[in-house]
Amino acid sequence: MPGTPRPAASAATHCPYCALQCAMRLTAATGLTVQARDFPTNGGGLCQKGWRSAGVVTAPDRLTRPLLRGNGGELVPVSWEVALDHIAATIREMQREHGKDTVAVFGGGGLTNEKAYQLGKFARLALGTRFVDYNGRFCMSSAAAGANRAFGLDRGLPFPLADLGGADAILLLGSNPAETMPPFVRHLAPVRGRGGLIVVDPRRSATAALTEDGSGLHLAPRPGTDLALLLGMLHLLLAERLIDRAYVEARTEGFEEVAASVGPWWPERVEQVCGVPVMDLQSAVRRLAAAAPVHGGRGAYILTGRGVEQSSQGAATVTAAINCALALGLPGRIGSGYGALTGQGNGQGGREHGQKADQLPGYRSIEDPAARAYVAGVWGVDPEVIPGKGVPAVELLRRLGTSGGPRALLVHGSNVVVSAPNAERVTARLRALDLLVVADVVPSETARLADVVLPVTQWAEEDGTMTNLEGRILRRRKAIEPPGEARSELWIWAELAARLGAPSTWPTQPAAVYTELAEASRGGAADYSGLTHDLIDATEATGHGCYWPIPHAPDPTAVPEGGHGTPRPFLDGFPRPGGRALCVPVSYAEPADNVRAEAPLYLTTGRLLHHYQSGAQTRRVAELVAAAPEPFVALHPVLADAYDIAEGDLVAVTTGRGTAYVRAKVTADQRPDTLFMPFHWAGLGSANRLTSDRTDPVCGMPDFKVCAASITRVSAPVPELEVSL
Amino acid sequence: MTRLVVIGNGMVGSRFTADLLAADHAGRYTIDHFSAEAGHPYNRVLLSDVVSGTRDLTAIGMPQASDPRLTVHPGVAVKAIDREDRVVVTGDGRRTRYDQLVLATGAHARVPALDGLPSSGDLPRGVRTLRTIDDARGLTAACVNAQRAVVLGAGVLGLEVACGLARRGVRVTIVHPKATMMERQLDATAGSALEATLRELAIEVRPGIAASGVLLDGDDAVRAVTLADGTQLPCDVLVIAAGAVPDIALARRSGLATDHGVVVSEMLQSPDDSRVFAIGDCAQPPEGGSGLVAQGWSQARRLVSRLTGASPAPDAPAADDIVRLKAPGLDVVTMGVCGVARPDLPGHRRLSVSDPGIGRHIELVLHDGALVGATCIGAGRLASQLLTTYSLRTPLPGDPLALLLDRSAFAGGASATTTAGVVCKCNSVTHDHLERAIDEGARDLDALADRTRAGTGCGSCRDDLCALLASRTQAVAAVKAI
Repeated sequence: MPGTPRPAASAATHCPYCALQCAMRLTAATGLTVQARDFPTNGGGLCQKGWRSAGVVTAPDRLTRPLLRGNGGELVPVSWEVALDHIAATIREMQREHGKDTVAVFGGGGLTNEKAYQLGKFARLALGTRFVDYNGRFCMSSAAAGANRAFGLDRGLPFPLADLGGADAILLLGSNPAETMPPFVRHLAPVRGRGGLIVVDPRRSATAALTEDGSGLHLAPRPGTDLALLLGMLHLLLAERLIDRAYVEARTEGFEEVAASVGPWWPERVEQVCGVPVMDLQSAVRRLAAAAPVHGGRGAYILTGRGVEQSSQGAATVTAAINCALALGLPGRIGSGYGALTGQGNGQGGREHGQKADQLPGYRSIEDPAARAYVAGVWGVDPEVIPGKGVPAVELLRRLGTSGGPRALLVHGSNVVVSAPNAERVTARLRALDLLVVADVVPSETARLADVVLPVTQWAEEDGTMTNLEGRILRRRKAIEPPGEARSELWIWAELAARLGAPSTWPTQPAAVYTELAEASRGGAADYSGLTHDLIDATEATGHGCYWPIPHAPDPTAVPEGGHGTPRPFLDGFPRPGGRALCVPVSYAEPADNVRAEAPLYLTTGRLLHHYQSGAQTRRVAELVAAAPEPFVALHPVLADAYDIAEGDLVAVTTGRGTAYVRAKVTADQRPDTLFMPFHWAGLGSANRLTSDRTDPVCGMPDFKVCAASITRVSAPVPELEVSL
Repeated sequence: MTRLVVIGNGMVGSRFTADLLAADHAGRYTIDHFSAEAGHPYNRVLLSDVVSGTRDLTAIGMPQASDPRLTVHPGVAVKAIDREDRVVVTGDGRRTRYDQLVLATGAHARVPALDGLPSSGDLPRGVRTLRTIDDARGLTAACVNAQRAVVLGAGVLGLEVACGLARRGVRVTIVHPKATMMERQLDATAGSALEATLRELAIEVRPGIAASGVLLDGDDAVRAVTLADGTQLPCDVLVIAAGAVPDIALARRSGLATDHGVVVSEMLQSPDDSRVFAIGDCAQPPEGGSGLVAQGWSQARRLVSRLTGASPAPDAPAADDIVRLKAPGLDVVTMGVCGVARPDLPGHRRLSVSDPGIGRHIELVLHDGALVGATCIGAGRLASQLLTTYSLRTPLPGDPLALLLDRSAFAGGASATTTAGVVCKCNSVTHDHLERAIDEGARDLDALADRTRAGTGCGSCRDDLCALLASRTQAVAAVKAI
């Protein structure tokens, strides 16, 4: 029986889904019940995904035993002993023949800090491979690159979420929190009341609709042109003399070069490139500037999301947003700032502890000899043992099973077959492997391709820590025992490490792993060393959050301003040489896969309220499926008319990568040149069969949000389709 | 190593150099860039904003490339090109060798022959053109004490200057020799809509008549303009906005083919010398020069890709025939097929909404399922939408009338993000659910949230929930009272 509850157990934990990590209480009596908890981030709110999260625990096809692909080609249950022995023996043999790098690891932004840490360590020490990366590359790499380069530190929101409520204006670029993290919208209520919410999105998304009725302004640029829009905003700030000169002089460097670089972006040109009316651009810029402290405003924020970041010029776009924020003197001031809204549950912590190709724990560079020496010391190994830098996710997936590329892959906490761009190619690469091991809670599309499937614990069944979008370190607490033979990844890696003869020690208790993680992070950018599980529990009890960097143990009896640790890291300067933020000039390029005669429309992708990421969890919850049962493409009535498509028609959407078959939704919420598809589904309706895997040269982010497409109505019945839909 | 000399550091020349340096990954080029003007490159398009006072001179800078491969020679005019020796000769007699030469010398303002104006040399006081940053400085200064101004020429620049001066409180009269203003972009009906708007801005308009002379006072300053019919228009400032003349003197002296401009092939190459290229306003390609910066930038990009062999950087979908007035108070955008002389081809459909009296006129020209031209006067946001429809060749609706309707007018089709009857989207709670919960005893927000979870997500539906609670509770009470 899956999810067998402990009698009358109750745990104060957080939601399994997004980076808002809404606080909830799980009670295990007759089944698992969810209650919202009052917490500064969600204010006692939950969205339907959170309320229904217990449904994932009782998913009818929950994995409860290890599976091994038998000679007949089907996955058959085996014992842990057999599964782990098989994996270890195969890896040993492959590495003996092809070298250490023949094994690759793919992690996830939903893993706890402890797992993210241990996975990176496992890859480097037990497997000895440099090929480790994770699905956070698809989420936060642009924001991370932009923030690191400008501020010297990448913490999604470098301020507590509640600070947003005091602002006069918020510029929200490419983010749809009304669907992706609904309780976040509570923090927008005050700024909406002041008419200051400015949303940039090619669609009239649920969030864009929040600007209506005097609550703010919606700018709907042509997909792929956000960067040009931001360059135009800075041009206008300069032209209208709205710059915070004193701030720029005291706290930044490189601004003059950036100012010169936006000369070619006068508003009328921006209008032609982006399709945003000059008057709207002006209103947005003036409203934002008026909210800035230099002009006597109560504060202004610029926030970016995946809509502008998931682009092959994502790092440049983030940089342009930061340049605007610096021009207005926002970052490092109480009540103003720049931030990126992290997406995945542990998208923040997941990018700090070493599952990135170029990174060691504490957000350290794997190429920095001092960092290698320090971490090697914590691990008790020679620094030479730690491999060098690997390659980013898309490149890693592209090399799988190719000549000289990795021939084995271990996947933890990711469903790449659905979530990676150009999904058909990803599937082909996975099929070309000699060994695919997938650890998951349900038979995801990726797990179904595996040679070995390992059943693992999920949120309600485990302890650990998560770091939310504010950089606040939270406790995930266990409410129920895992079903059947499901085990934590921490145990799996310890078992494999032993079988592979790995050096170092491999604790399996989350609190013990945290203690090691804390030590490994000491002195790094993301320093967690002041905390233990017990200390997080104690501070939470007094109602104060712990924000990294937190190098010293907090005093739970203290009443800290904003929170323990570093709630607002840039107040006294930026962690760069000289303490100044760096302004970097960036230039705009048209979308790489641009519209043309045979692909005359833009395709953009995104999320729906009722589903999460690849849908592996939410597509197993009946209420969520009832609310959003199947994939679709949304198109404007003008397009529907032009292509003779009616609401509910089956259509084929084609790009340079492939064709997807979905139902049409006709809505004026779209630009007439742009199609939209949600990306939560697999198979013939999968949006990522269509997306481009071209990547950002700076950070490896793929071009999820813009490619050229065509659409046609499918008139003849397609039998294979009827089955799959 | 290829030695490249570029002459002219305006919007097109400076862009060309920057793009070339960026594309020349192999480091094959060294560039000597000569510029007759002394300062940094600047944005000529924005000079009229300076005149109108909506931005100051410091806000029109353009980026100047900086690179070890580049030597910029500001304020150094090239006097001669010795094509045999492949050198350019500057005023100080210095000779610089080239393997390839790019002319980006631009254009200067055309000054029509008028009685009282000297045929060459400095213009009288109060008479100004607007082509350079010095012109903008001078014109702005001349306006400080001006009461009345005449603008000769109602093209894009003339109208922008006229509106800019009017914004500064100067009484402005526009004199235009053609019957229709902006006749390259507007037809007669569109022109009359424009006139109506100008009258609203208190700008006097004199179309269909040419200026014949300029009257000067004892200090050699302008005091009036005479028109062909003998009318005198008193003024203290006269702005001549009668078009531009490509700067071809250097090319002509060097024996390169010239016509209106420096004659170049489709590849932007001189027919006389395979080492010489011309781009921007000085060039005359087979399709003719538009005088718009978009054309010059597109030429710069194409030439860079030709010289370096790099594939051209993707640029905005080709549309270098968009004209958008940026005059305070005027909303005029045209693209593609438009203007008095537009061809009336069979198969072209025309669709227009015209209300010239209030300054509105919108015309669409459609061909083969695409928008091939548009004229938008007073069209507001619709013009921006049409800009992308035109430049992207977005498919058109079966009935193109839909293009003219406001987006909110499309009532058809359910929204992709909302479902009928859903009040709380975050928890998919419908109106029916809520009524049932109220009927079953949920009488306040908390009770309603407990039962249905409505309002527990983003919280934006709470006002709707309160309204529903009030009306339903009343209804139930009313029913019970019966």
